[in-house]
Amino acid sequence: MDHRALTTQVTGSPFVPLPFLVIGRRRETRDTVTLRLRSLCDATLHAQPGQFMMLSVYGIGEVPISISGLPRRPGELEHTIRAVGSVTRHLVALHRGDHIGVRGPFGTGWPLEAAYGQDVLLIAGGLGLAPLRSALVAILRERWRYRQVVVLYGARSPADLLYRRDLSGWQQRAKITVYVTVDHPDPSWRGQVGVVPNLIRQVTALFEPTNTVAMICGPEIMMRFTVRELQKHGIPDERIFLSLERNMQCGIGLCGHCQFGPFFLCKDGPVLPYSRLAPYRDIREL
Amino acid sequence: MNDRSPLELLATHPFTADLSEDQQAHLATCARIAHYAPDDYLLREGQPATAFYLIVSGLVSIELFVPGHGPRPLQTVEGGSAVGWSWMLAPSRWEFDARALEPTTAVVFDAEQLRALFREDCCLGLRLVQRLLFVVTERLKAARLQLLDLYGPPRER
Repeated sequence: MDHRALTTQVTGSPFVPLPFLVIGRRRETRDTVTLRLRSLCDATLHAQPGQFMMLSVYGIGEVPISISGLPRRPGELEHTIRAVGSVTRHLVALHRGDHIGVRGPFGTGWPLEAAYGQDVLLIAGGLGLAPLRSALVAILRERWRYRQVVVLYGARSPADLLYRRDLSGWQQRAKITVYVTVDHPDPSWRGQVGVVPNLIRQVTALFEPTNTVAMICGPEIMMRFTVRELQKHGIPDERIFLSLERNMQCGIGLCGHCQFGPFFLCKDGPVLPYSRLAPYRDIREL
Repeated sequence: MNDRSPLELLATHPFTADLSEDQQAHLATCARIAHYAPDDYLLREGQPATAFYLIVSGLVSIELFVPGHGPRPLQTVEGGSAVGWSWMLAPSRWEFDARALEPTTAVVFDAEQLRALFREDCCLGLRLVQRLLFVVTERLKAARLQLLDLYGPPRER
């Protein structure tokens, strides 16, 4: 398995946002929407699942947002955004026909080719399903290349579940095992209650640890406990991939805001194998 | 599944699978198989804790009844896990409700017989208490993580 970080070739100047048009908007939850974007300048982006773009609202600011789907046509992008601050509130409020600035793609993608012929575990917590959705869509396009595909997803409450229609559709159509759990159920919820790491032991019969690639995205504490659970079940560190988030700004490893130990997560990450991250896991200052 | 004996189920259940055949046979003498339909209660808060449950298949919600709000699920337990340890500790009354969410099958042990078996065979008792402690630890860890509200609003940006 290739452990080297991939450095993205950025289209044109990496600092100049390209103009994009909002061509679709779907509300996912109370505070989260998925935007579909189309380039207004014939830019051909080769964004890979796991990479991120810098999205800017003119006059407001810029934020890093992961790719959450694959383009239906060249020059299109799909991003799922939660309103948590000034810039993201403005992004979530955009509608069809609005303009937006886009830089990227930046960073490393999920190891989809390395997972050919392997069992695949996609483990997401909260908004972490968005970057993994793009990986799952890519896997579905080439489902025959993979063995078991298991999606484990945890959210705060049923109302916070992303892509609800997709989740049931994937399971029914594509021979994918999907387990969903929530921390705080409402009275109508009949599914599992509890944290994501608890789901892993329920699917151990489905994967062969030394032939499994695990991809994880979610809050860091959730990822830490998930990694421990995967290790308990024999998945080697070099087969566990995490998507980490820090304060990405320049996107090309110059400004240093996203430094994590020896890595610039905007360039060497956000997706890294745990075998490379493990030496730094106990350094609290990071 | 329905026609399997307690002993057969104990031989494959993760909680008991690696016990010796003799130990499994001893345990089977105080066990029966029970089936629960969705919304059936395995146990109810405040009632005497007279049984110990190994969930074979299905899904069970551990919950508290909150007046004015109804049952509030705290955690779910799936096939391969265990439910109920109040029978080990005085005053042996259930602290929570456990309700089946799906059709559920369990091996149900009579607590009094199980306690007698532990007094008679301390080695078996110790092994099972260690396993139960593992289950308790996992539940405590999960409850602590839930308390952190991991998926709450992230930092502003």
